[in-house]
Amino acid sequence: MRIRQHPILEFEKGPLIEFEHDGRKLTGHEGESIAAALHAAGVRVLRHSIRLDRPRGFFCAIGRCSSCLMTVDGVPNVMTCVTPLKAGMRIETQTGKGIIPDVRFTHPPADPDYPRDLGNVPLAIVGAGPAGLSAAIAAGRLGVECVVIDENAVPGGQLIKQTHMFFGSKEHHARVRGIDIGEILLKEIEDLPVSVITGTTVLGLYADRVLALLRNDRFHRLTSDSIILATGASENMLAFPNSDLPGVYGAGAVQTLMNVDGVAPGKRVLMIGAGNIGLIVSYQLLQAGVEVAAVVEGLPEIGGYHVHAAKVVRAGVPILTSHTILRALGTEHVEGAVISQIDPQWCPIEGTEVELDVDTICLAVGLTPNCELGSQLGCEEAFVAELGGRVSIHGAGLATTVEGVYIAGDASGIEEASTAMLEGRLAGLSAAGRLLPDLDRNELARLKKEASEGLRTLRAGPFGEHARAGKRKMLELAGVRGGDS
Amino acid sequence: MMKSRAECVIIGGGVVGTAIAYYLAKGGMTDCVLVEADYLSSGATGRCGGGIRQQWSTEANTRLAIESVREFSSLEDELGADIEFLQGGYLILAYTDEDVAQFEKNVALQQGLGLDVSILTPDEITERVVPQLNTDGVRMATYCPSDASANPFLTTTAYANAARRLGVEIELFTPVTRVLTEHGKVTGVETSKGTISTPLVVNVAGSHSVPIAATAGVNLPITPYRRQILVTEPLERFFHPMIISFSLGIYFRQVRHGSVIGGFGDPDEPAGFNQTSSLEFLTTMSSKLAFLMPRLRSVKIVRQWGGMYDLTPDAQPILGETDGVEGFFQASGFSGHGFMIAPKVAMLVAQVVAGQKPDLDISRLNARRFAEGPVTTDRSVV
Ligand SMILES: Cc1cc2nc3c(=O)[nH]c(=O)nc-3n(C[C@H](O)[C@H](O)[C@H](O)COP(=O)(O)OP(=O)(O)OC[C@H]3O[C@@H](n4cnc5c(N)ncnc54)[C@H](O)[C@@H]3O)c2cc1C
Ligand SMILES: Cc1cc2nc3c(=O)[nH]c(=O)nc-3n(C[C@H](O)[C@H](O)[C@H](O)COP(=O)(O)OP(=O)(O)OC[C@H]3O[C@@H](n4cnc5c(N)ncnc54)[C@H](O)[C@@H]3O)c2cc1C
Repeated sequence: MRIRQHPILEFEKGPLIEFEHDGRKLTGHEGESIAAALHAAGVRVLRHSIRLDRPRGFFCAIGRCSSCLMTVDGVPNVMTCVTPLKAGMRIETQTGKGIIPDVRFTHPPADPDYPRDLGNVPLAIVGAGPAGLSAAIAAGRLGVECVVIDENAVPGGQLIKQTHMFFGSKEHHARVRGIDIGEILLKEIEDLPVSVITGTTVLGLYADRVLALLRNDRFHRLTSDSIILATGASENMLAFPNSDLPGVYGAGAVQTLMNVDGVAPGKRVLMIGAGNIGLIVSYQLLQAGVEVAAVVEGLPEIGGYHVHAAKVVRAGVPILTSHTILRALGTEHVEGAVISQIDPQWCPIEGTEVELDVDTICLAVGLTPNCELGSQLGCEEAFVAELGGRVSIHGAGLATTVEGVYIAGDASGIEEASTAMLEGRLAGLSAAGRLLPDLDRNELARLKKEASEGLRTLRAGPFGEHARAGKRKMLELAGVRGGDS
Repeated sequence: MMKSRAECVIIGGGVVGTAIAYYLAKGGMTDCVLVEADYLSSGATGRCGGGIRQQWSTEANTRLAIESVREFSSLEDELGADIEFLQGGYLILAYTDEDVAQFEKNVALQQGLGLDVSILTPDEITERVVPQLNTDGVRMATYCPSDASANPFLTTTAYANAARRLGVEIELFTPVTRVLTEHGKVTGVETSKGTISTPLVVNVAGSHSVPIAATAGVNLPITPYRRQILVTEPLERFFHPMIISFSLGIYFRQVRHGSVIGGFGDPDEPAGFNQTSSLEFLTTMSSKLAFLMPRLRSVKIVRQWGGMYDLTPDAQPILGETDGVEGFFQASGFSGHGFMIAPKVAMLVAQVVAGQKPDLDISRLNARRFAEGPVTTDRSVV
């Protein structure tokens, strides 16, 4: 189910190659993820769960959830959603736990540019999404040497999947497509003392700002004088019977499949959630030639912007508010879904059940900030519902409670790319202020004020209500616990 | 609402505290409250390796350990819960002359007490017990097939649930702030949620037992040390025993879920409360593991964490009533092996608290031993 024609995207794919799946010969494009190649070939079941032997497909498509583990060339527990396909690979559906091959593990050859000990960098930025890149630009312009580290093969974070034109004001790249904003940011970095290391996961942060990195199956150590955590967010799951069936995918995963890999997630999709993400992804599905049976929303109103809702409705897709999904149907993968109306207490109303004929259920039910690294470093945290969950406590200047460690973007509370960019800028300025004692304080204060005012403008209005409330709580917490300005 | 009065208060919801609560209630003292500062197993218990060993170097320890394994092997039936108890054995590797000499003595003593333990040559290790082990440098090993392991979370939860069924109340997220005494007698405990009056208090708070005892003017000779540990991705079972080496300071086993869990004791670790993880541990432990079990080279480590050992001068626990404070009992200082002896120790402490004569004499483990003169240390400590 490859997408042949797309109104916006052209898919640059690697050469067609052969690989083996459970003994069958299949073809795919070199370099695409194994899971995408299998999906394109119609394979949805990637493994069976350890305890209950339930079929599992992929879910997050960003190497977080472990749903897609398979045995690749004899090595078990390989995350196929982020592992690139190579010619001749032997890919097997994994049943149960892995068996380690009885062969000596051979490391990939060492890369002379990346010794085990990478030395010290003044500013390490984790995550090359809009927040991380903007932080690097702000700090780099003031002369701070930075390294931006991202686990993906290409920098840009969520932006690399956003084919739609962004909302917001002009100076924050409104009307530019997300995919192009990433390019703009990368261009700005070119002349600055900033290096971007992709394909590299920050495994852990340790005392004295030591970073443990994993790159090409090799371990590296990097020390830093300051750290900005711009790790973004992870997709929320929803619990309903059969929600673990292959074919129940996160919205981000659906975007990755269709906008990055050019593979249709299914033929007919039920979208859960009418926030901006649910609406945008529904529209993108339609653009990719996939049918959307309905968008189901628990709240009595549509959460996302009306421009996005209007586009979906115009295409004939019903948006059913005060509705929920009751269960997914199917045994090996999704073959349908049952939805129903709910009352104001969110209880299903009997007699309103409707069965939908869909092969994919897409969950767009919110995101949770990625706070693990800060947590490991001992950053104090708080649960703030308006920000999407647990976040490291941070002051107005985005400093956490650990000296020299800052946070920005979705990691500091779920918002948008536009606010992520400004937060990134602010965090970069704060870090620069700490690292460069000779910096002109007035100039720094002016730049910080500019970014803070930009954030205030973006958060004004009814759609910024959550963010405003969340950040207000955060400042109170930071005040109590002594996070900086 | 928390009770304001109880027959006995147990401080600490680790494996030992919950087990004491259970055995007290089982013996008839059901009006007990267990107070835990955080959640069950949040202390050393939930961070430990879950190993259960009978191979010790002193007679008293070996006897206690044999009794504990007996208790463990019937515990699932008794508590009505799966605790992942597995008698997969312990394989203890000797690398030095000193190891060899000590192990020969240990085995003689252990066999004398009826334990099925034998000495294996390096070839016998790979032929009979763990084919994947790298025996480079290994002089010999001792192997006791009835040594075991269990899941510390499940064990603690099983004890807690069994205790609750008998009427014990468990208060979570409720730190004890003070032990109250009057005229040399316990009168109650002060907690974050109020005071509980009681004539009997059992202090089972691991390393935190020291500050708690201090509120009643009692000084416990316990020093906290961090110990670190890690766990890999799950794999089909490919070895059964806990493998340890005192000279490498390392231990590891494969749990039922399939993960390999293991740690090593850093001899240079400074004393103090510290539960953080270090990168040095991760790298050193990985290379030790990869050396001993080359197959593990390709296996992913998924987590690491730190926990506290509550070390006493003789690496033996402190058990029993406190001289000078009537009704104040101690069960701490387990020095890194409190999980394996928890069932038997808890049973004995419960008997002492209830005023009964314990099945095994534990008076040698009273804190007063440190005041009475020099103590001897068991050499079989990781
Ligand atoms: C469907 C959809 C539509 C959207 N539409 C809009 C819109 O129209 N306008 C708008 O303003 N916003 C929009 N957004 C929101 C916007 O994409 C996000 O708010 C923004 O990308 C957040 O930026 P960030 O830099 O904080 O995080 P991200 O973009 O998520 O980047 C974080 C990066 O860090 C990497 N990372 C995380 N942990 C590690 C680690 N340990 N080691 C190495 N790398 C790590 C991640 O892989 C990722 O690349 C949309 C989002 C979605 C999902
Ligand atoms: C890394 C590591 C590996 C280990 N491996 C093994 C092994 O393989 N085999 C083995 O036998 N042993 C092992 N041990 C030792 C074992 O974990 C402990 O000896 C055992 O768990 C002690 O149990 P406990 O109930 O006494 O203490 P803990 O489990 O520490 O319980 C004490 C409880 O008291 C609570 N508390 C503290 N202060 C207060 C307060 N003021 N008020 C109320 N509650 C309070 C704590 O929150 C805690 O839950 C290991 C330990 C570590 C750290």
